[in-house]
Amino acid sequence: MTGSKIRNGMTRLVPYAFILPPMIYLMVFMFWPLARQMYMSLTNTKIINPNRGRFIGLGNYERLFDDPAFYLSLKVTLLYAVLAVIFGVALGVISALAIDRPFKGRSIVRAILLFGWAVPNVAASLIWLWMYNDRSGIFNRITEFAGIGRFGWLTSIDLALASIVAVTVWQVAPFVMLVVLAALQSVPHEVREAARIDGADGLSTFRAVTLPHIRPAVQLASLLVCVWSIRRFDIIYLLTGGGPVGTTSTLVVKIRQTAFEGHELGMASAYGAVGLVLALAIAAVHYLAEQRRMKWMSR
Amino acid sequence: MPALTFKNVSKNFGDHSVIKAFNADIHDGEFLVLLGPSGCGKSTLLRMIAGLSDITSGDLRFDGQIANDWEPKRRGVAFVFQTYALYPHMTVRENIAFPLIMDAFRKWYHLPVVNIIARHRLMRRSDIAERTLKMARQLELEPLLDRRPASLSGGQRQRVALARALVRDPSLYLLDEPLSNLDAKLRTQMRSEISALHNKVGKTFVYVTHDQVEAMTMASRIIIMDKGVVQQVDTPDNVYDNPANTFVAKFIGSPPMNLIPASVRPSGLMLSGEIAVEHREALPSRREAMFGIRPEKLELKPVGEGRLPARVAVIERLGAETVIGCRFITGKDDAGELLIEQDLVFVRVSGNPKMQIGEACSLDYRSEDVLWFDVDTGQRLS
Amino acid sequence: MLKVLRYLLIGLLVVLAGFPVYWMATTALSLNSELYGTGQVIWPQLQNLPELWRELGQVPIGLWLFNTLLIAAGGTVLSLTLGSLAGYALSRFRFHGKGLVGFLLFMTQVVPEALILVPLYAMFITFGLLNSLIGLVLANVGFSLPVACFVLKGAMDAVPYEIEESAIIDNCPRFSVLTMIILPLIMPSIAAAAVVAFFAGWNEFLFASTFLMDRGNWPASVGLASFVGQYETPMSAVMGAALVFSLPAVVFFLLIQRKIVAGLTAGAVKG
Repeated sequence: MTGSKIRNGMTRLVPYAFILPPMIYLMVFMFWPLARQMYMSLTNTKIINPNRGRFIGLGNYERLFDDPAFYLSLKVTLLYAVLAVIFGVALGVISALAIDRPFKGRSIVRAILLFGWAVPNVAASLIWLWMYNDRSGIFNRITEFAGIGRFGWLTSIDLALASIVAVTVWQVAPFVMLVVLAALQSVPHEVREAARIDGADGLSTFRAVTLPHIRPAVQLASLLVCVWSIRRFDIIYLLTGGGPVGTTSTLVVKIRQTAFEGHELGMASAYGAVGLVLALAIAAVHYLAEQRRMKWMSR
Repeated sequence: MPALTFKNVSKNFGDHSVIKAFNADIHDGEFLVLLGPSGCGKSTLLRMIAGLSDITSGDLRFDGQIANDWEPKRRGVAFVFQTYALYPHMTVRENIAFPLIMDAFRKWYHLPVVNIIARHRLMRRSDIAERTLKMARQLELEPLLDRRPASLSGGQRQRVALARALVRDPSLYLLDEPLSNLDAKLRTQMRSEISALHNKVGKTFVYVTHDQVEAMTMASRIIIMDKGVVQQVDTPDNVYDNPANTFVAKFIGSPPMNLIPASVRPSGLMLSGEIAVEHREALPSRREAMFGIRPEKLELKPVGEGRLPARVAVIERLGAETVIGCRFITGKDDAGELLIEQDLVFVRVSGNPKMQIGEACSLDYRSEDVLWFDVDTGQRLS
Repeated sequence: MLKVLRYLLIGLLVVLAGFPVYWMATTALSLNSELYGTGQVIWPQLQNLPELWRELGQVPIGLWLFNTLLIAAGGTVLSLTLGSLAGYALSRFRFHGKGLVGFLLFMTQVVPEALILVPLYAMFITFGLLNSLIGLVLANVGFSLPVACFVLKGAMDAVPYEIEESAIIDNCPRFSVLTMIILPLIMPSIAAAAVVAFFAGWNEFLFASTFLMDRGNWPASVGLASFVGQYETPMSAVMGAALVFSLPAVVFFLLIQRKIVAGLTAGAVKG
């Protein structure tokens, strides 16, 4: 690729000339704040004076790990991520399989299936809020019509998280579908035909040829959905604000709450640190699994 | 003073040694061909001359000055890539003019928006426009000037690449297998065009190829390489008539030289361990040697007339001549077991003799046409 | 038989995916009296279009969209500029710390925005960037730069290296190789990266709602969100505004979906 370039004197610096501007930018606007955040979690900074906080060591963390609200938010985060991944990926894969083979009107169908991903978070929040609305929302109108009565989709302790998951699935499945579709359509025709000539029927072709081909795509999509779920803020905050009673407060929501409603920046940072560690752990797991798979493939 | 000197130049990619202790002088104005199989290091050498790859150890000198660290632009070379490397988004005219424009660019012209303006202005500048047009005319590209490379044929792209190389009038031309992507007929035509070009321009050409026909027809001198080591440096005639070792002997010539293991006995010669041959003159002084003879030096005779009894295994009729692959008749009759033919002895015969596969015949030769090689090292024995 | 099931499934998926958007349109075309009182009509009532147009005047959607446009455009330009520099470096050079750079870029996709919200807030107060669109753009680019970098890097990897070598021999310095040779050859990917960066800025809510105090600076995302939880929301106007807000995003996403997926997955796989 690069050959071995002549690098002497000034030319040795050329790569750095290219990579430094973006990296400096990221240092200033991403990594230094991140580092500061980590440090802030060790202080008792309050929002009134964000630049003046005293170092209190692991005090925030001690309080954190004693607080049932923290464990609740941890549980909510994990539950939310797992549910979003399972249902989002399932729906995405099903959609991809359904529209894999060409049919009339396929481009329109495909376009409609992408709506969930394309519609901005805020607009999606508004419409789903309206649909979930207690008195005038379409869901309650349907359930009332069906005789099951009304539900507090976003206000009931049992239903709130599920309702949020539903919205998330609506948003995320199209992305999974695209990723899986790309993998499906990269299965070379010749391989499928060869399998058919060798006598395999539809289902075994699927298992032997198609499935292995899309497995990496499904894994990748799952990872991305998982990480996005941990990061997701807009939808949850706008739909439930973290309630009722913290049943939809993921770690990220707690950060916002603790900082701007509880006014405690230090504590909020501690929440944030946990969220980051979680996201990193998941990414690391995926990375290691990829490495292992690569090694296995080149045995 | 030679135009280029390589002194003990070696090149490693990590631990892998691609070129070992390469020494050579390239003379001003000659057409030097670097010939060898894939992976022998010839392209790497060319890139080192151009400044595209760096030199692990040793000296490269341009007109006596050590040039290892010189940037490509300082070396004043032109490079024609195997894939032509034309700029796909520029027209033929812009491709050819590009080197001229780059030479005319001042430092601050390279700023993002400025460069577009500067390019347009410079394209219209009289000297640049004229030189581009003249170059295009010389290579018969004038009608194509406003087309993009994608719409050109292989031969046309080849010529655009040449035009772009020539337009700067460099002192050194480097060509990396420029003809490998062309079909056979075009290749023959372009070969003569490039040779004519060299005669006209009179500058030093360094040409890399794996095709020995190209090397033999175009070169003033050939450097044959294998696995990073020079095998022989000589004119085409010498390389053909006096190969330095078995590698050169087999690489040059089509079909390649026949190499048969031989043992020297007091009674005469034993070929392939089984055939006793009456041969007294000019025998090497060792017991085992490689017997080498070119296909056109072997004579095909009816059964019994020649010293080597053989059976025809393969016939290739080429129109003006025929190549016949034979297997010696040894007494062991296991030839029918294999599906593919190997270790055949090839004879070149003019015309179209009426031979059949499986027919018996005999081969003969003159002792002075035999070249002897060492069995272990492959070196030529004198 | 299998075919029928298939079409049924497709129909079901279409309903699930498309209904919310359909409902947005229907709601926008309803009268507020219907929405809150008599019951929303299920079919879109196109006759209410003029009414909708008038109602949209109640909502400062024009100003909001203008702000959104500024934020999105600014973020796009900056992301593409820095992203192409980074992408080129990663694609063509080997240098010390290259692995680290790759890791850091990957990290930005894992970090929750909320995490750097607070430090950025503190930083912006110090530098007086708090209420400004510029500050917001600067914050957003941190997340879209790496995506642009990966998309562009992938495209650059596909450009044969010999073309660059040819330019270098022709006396072209590296920076111009990037601007004059490489970038023109990867225009489709630049477009895709631009769209991704643009709509990342277009949709962004968290930073905008935290950093922008002035109502006059609000982008559409914050403006629309301000209707959440209000009692007397002019729902049809809001839905109309939401539709206008969503339309460009939907249109463009449909146009370049393939490229985005390729870019995102390539970046994530390379890590």
